[in-house]
Amino acid sequence: MILERQILDHALTLLIVIPLVGLVPLLFFMRDERAAKQVAIVTTFVELVVSLVVLGQFRIGEAGFQMTDSVMWLPSLGIRYEVGVDGISVLLVVLTTLLTFISVLYSSGGAIKTRVGEFMAAFLLLEVGMVGVFVALDLFLFYVFFELMLVPMYLIIGIWGGTRRIYATLKFVLFTLAGSLIMLVAIVAVYLASGDAGSRTLSFADLVNDTSRFPPDFQFWAFFAFALAFAIKLPMVPFHTWLPDAHVEAPTAGSIILAGILLKAGGYGLIRFALPLFPLGAQAWLPLILLLSVVAIIYGAAVSTVQKDLKKLVAYSSVAHMGFVTLGIFVLNVQGGVGAILQMLNHGVVTGALFLFVGIQYERTHRRLIADLGGLANKWPLYTTFFGIFVLASLGLPGLNGFVGEFLVLVGAFKFDGQPVSGLVWGPLAAIGVILAAVYLLWMFQRVMYGPVREAYKDLPDLSPVEVASALPLLVLTIALGVFPQPFIRIIEPSLERMLAFASAAAVAVK
Amino acid sequence: MTDLVAILPETIVTAAAVVVLAVAAIWGDARVRAWLPWLTLLGLIAALASPIAYPASGLFFGGFAVVDQFTAFFRLTFIVLAAFTAVIAPPYLRREGVPEAEFYATVLFSTVGAMTIALATDLITLFVGIELMSIPVYVLAGLQRRDRYANEAALKYFLLGAFSSAILVYGFAWLFGIAGSTDLVHVSAAVAKAGLGSPEVVVALALVTAGLGFKAAVVPFHQWTPDAYDGAPTPSTAFMSVAPKAAAFAAILRVMATALGPVQLDWALVFAVLAVVTMTGGNVVALVQTNVKRMLAYSSIAHTGYILAGVAALAAGTSAGAAVLFYLFAYGIMNLGAFASLTLLDLEGTRGATLDELNGLWSRHSSGALAFTIFLVNLTGIPPTIGFLGKFLMIQPVLDAGFGWVAVAIALNAALAAFYYLRVVVHMFMYDPEAGAPRIEGARILSVSLVVVAVITILLGVLPDPVYAFALRGAEPVVIR
Repeated sequence: MILERQILDHALTLLIVIPLVGLVPLLFFMRDERAAKQVAIVTTFVELVVSLVVLGQFRIGEAGFQMTDSVMWLPSLGIRYEVGVDGISVLLVVLTTLLTFISVLYSSGGAIKTRVGEFMAAFLLLEVGMVGVFVALDLFLFYVFFELMLVPMYLIIGIWGGTRRIYATLKFVLFTLAGSLIMLVAIVAVYLASGDAGSRTLSFADLVNDTSRFPPDFQFWAFFAFALAFAIKLPMVPFHTWLPDAHVEAPTAGSIILAGILLKAGGYGLIRFALPLFPLGAQAWLPLILLLSVVAIIYGAAVSTVQKDLKKLVAYSSVAHMGFVTLGIFVLNVQGGVGAILQMLNHGVVTGALFLFVGIQYERTHRRLIADLGGLANKWPLYTTFFGIFVLASLGLPGLNGFVGEFLVLVGAFKFDGQPVSGLVWGPLAAIGVILAAVYLLWMFQRVMYGPVREAYKDLPDLSPVEVASALPLLVLTIALGVFPQPFIRIIEPSLERMLAFASAAAVAVK
Repeated sequence: MTDLVAILPETIVTAAAVVVLAVAAIWGDARVRAWLPWLTLLGLIAALASPIAYPASGLFFGGFAVVDQFTAFFRLTFIVLAAFTAVIAPPYLRREGVPEAEFYATVLFSTVGAMTIALATDLITLFVGIELMSIPVYVLAGLQRRDRYANEAALKYFLLGAFSSAILVYGFAWLFGIAGSTDLVHVSAAVAKAGLGSPEVVVALALVTAGLGFKAAVVPFHQWTPDAYDGAPTPSTAFMSVAPKAAAFAAILRVMATALGPVQLDWALVFAVLAVVTMTGGNVVALVQTNVKRMLAYSSIAHTGYILAGVAALAAGTSAGAAVLFYLFAYGIMNLGAFASLTLLDLEGTRGATLDELNGLWSRHSSGALAFTIFLVNLTGIPPTIGFLGKFLMIQPVLDAGFGWVAVAIALNAALAAFYYLRVVVHMFMYDPEAGAPRIEGARILSVSLVVVAVITILLGVLPDPVYAFALRGAEPVVIR
């Protein structure tokens, strides 16, 4: 009983440690493919179970951080190891462990053929970084995990990717690194501004309690530096150019994680750190961010329409979907914020699934160009059903999850009453994106699935059991989030209101 | 007697060098030679442990030498670097027929010189230390006597080194002229009296900066670096790229903080500009290199720039000095490790590996490629590594001293540098080895020690507090008051 209590108290630390523990046997079985796969599957499964326990223990309705773990880490700097979850992060943690498990499971089914041990090791290391990003409550710790995600993904794209993988992976790393190094300077500046020598801190809880220690000028630049790093990661237009390249070249599992989790780290960083810590800076940059969000929504959708490559189409649709996330966060109301977080979860589930199905299809046909495909519906009833549902969810059909997030974001956008233009401009503009989404997704589905089937594809098999097992949890979530969004909203809402309260309290105090 | 106890570590290292030479001269066969690195290591460990058994602190030799925490930190750094060099050198030395005993002895003599710099409270001690450190390094560069490039490297290094020593000693003479004393504390008082911007101080400042800038490879005094690093035998390069640089910064800290501390306003901005020029210059040229050894040479210039930023920020207090000390320690390990990783490749007749020769190293020698990657990640400054902490700790005083633009330059430069460091990783992991390239066998001690040290850089990246706390204490004597 006491042991159980202890484990529960440190469950979040456990989430960080489990993949590291899994790495140890993996290093010994590096050359044994079967063993490597088994170790990775077991590790990510245990991780998933522990994260579900965390979700089960989560007290719904509380706004603050729960299950916190805090010890002094670097005494001479006053930097703490501090982890915890609130309504915003707890669902993202579960999404991370779920998508990682699915990716590993799917990759074990034969999608990865070379250097399997190394692939699984990279995935476990990646999982440490991803989970860490969502639970870290100290800016230093957050930065460490934020960067830790970089190297494994760099290797995953660079080793197991497509023909232009090296160009894609270098572009991905250099873009991300440039942004995050600028953020590092801002983090150090925050550290210096947090107090006098000896009492300095990077603990989020301490910093957010009194943001008046950051003068407006300071906030302007600090917000810029943080937002730049997250805007590149998210990515926002005009920093999105690495995304299509990275997605097209990444192996399927890499695409799933990239779209499903890594992009979310950007949105999460904005709402967790950039907005509450620098509310005045956020106010100053607000018009530009709203503009760029709407541009991303329309531009992303418009560019998706003309894509010839399936993966590129899904990648550009991600740019549009992430536009909804930033729009929702920066209209600064509860509907928008909750919508943004739901949109992150939904996009993680649905786009993860879309990349999974594009990958499954590619493995059979070895074609990704839409023009080379067609008529697959007749041959693959199971595939078509799954893929169809995810496509409909992605375009925002009511009853499936994509609708809920986008709808709430739009409500929030219409309600926005700030400067320089009211929500009556942002709302309708964003709504255009929803219409365009229906256009490009349905058109794509029609060209890929219907029409006459090609001779070469006649004998290709439908989904295998492993593939169904990989996709099923995502399908369940797609429907559950669409039909019963309320429980999820109840988890998110109090914590979100708290973050927004930090932001508005400081703004009011200055006025 | 207390004077001799105070310099016990230096004495032990000197004795170790003599013993290594003597042993090799008396029993010259291969079996004995195999033990030389371990003998070297033993001497270094004894030197490291001796202050614990016989502690000493304060001024010695009538004020010519001082033992404080600054001295202690640099002793640790130099001994660690020399020990690492001794462990990784044997395979290369044997393969290329470099005289082994001479190599270890020369490394040890150079280490004594570097340690003497850390002891100095007087311009004369300082200069003796610098020369004692430099001259063995010229020898190290030319140890491969039959190699044309090694000869070129040694000659270039020697000529420019001698030239810079002359400039430096001329600068010291000006300082002596101002103060009428070679004691750093007396010089400081005289400089304070002469005041900011007085012509004689500015001349001395310019000469000393140029002289020490040569030793540390600050742009525009860096021209000797690529050729010297590139042509020298790789284990020599590994040592040359770290220990003399750390020693040069020990000298810079002592001179700038103590003797020229009162006119800090005169030089801080100059150093900040030099820092940005150095890091940018090194990185931009490194970007276009296809020879990895040469690329690492330019990258080491870039790192000089980062470290120099900390010197420029000395007004920020202990955190600046501590950042310089920590960075020197971190840089020493990671850069030595990177050069040492290159010695895994057997590349007779070529000057270091080209990027293509590293193709598929992962499948030819997994542990070596893994260690090399970790060192490169360190150099890039990605957490959780000691290299990342070095950058994090460096940005802090730089911002604190009001050099925001230097901090931004560090960040942008680190992103720039990521390109060429990671390109090496691309070649090791993402390209297939050239047809017929065999797996690399042997060199077990080398690869094990590389992996061990690489893991240590990660462990210290996660738990840096012991080193950083030591660096904070070590920086106390070089705070500008």
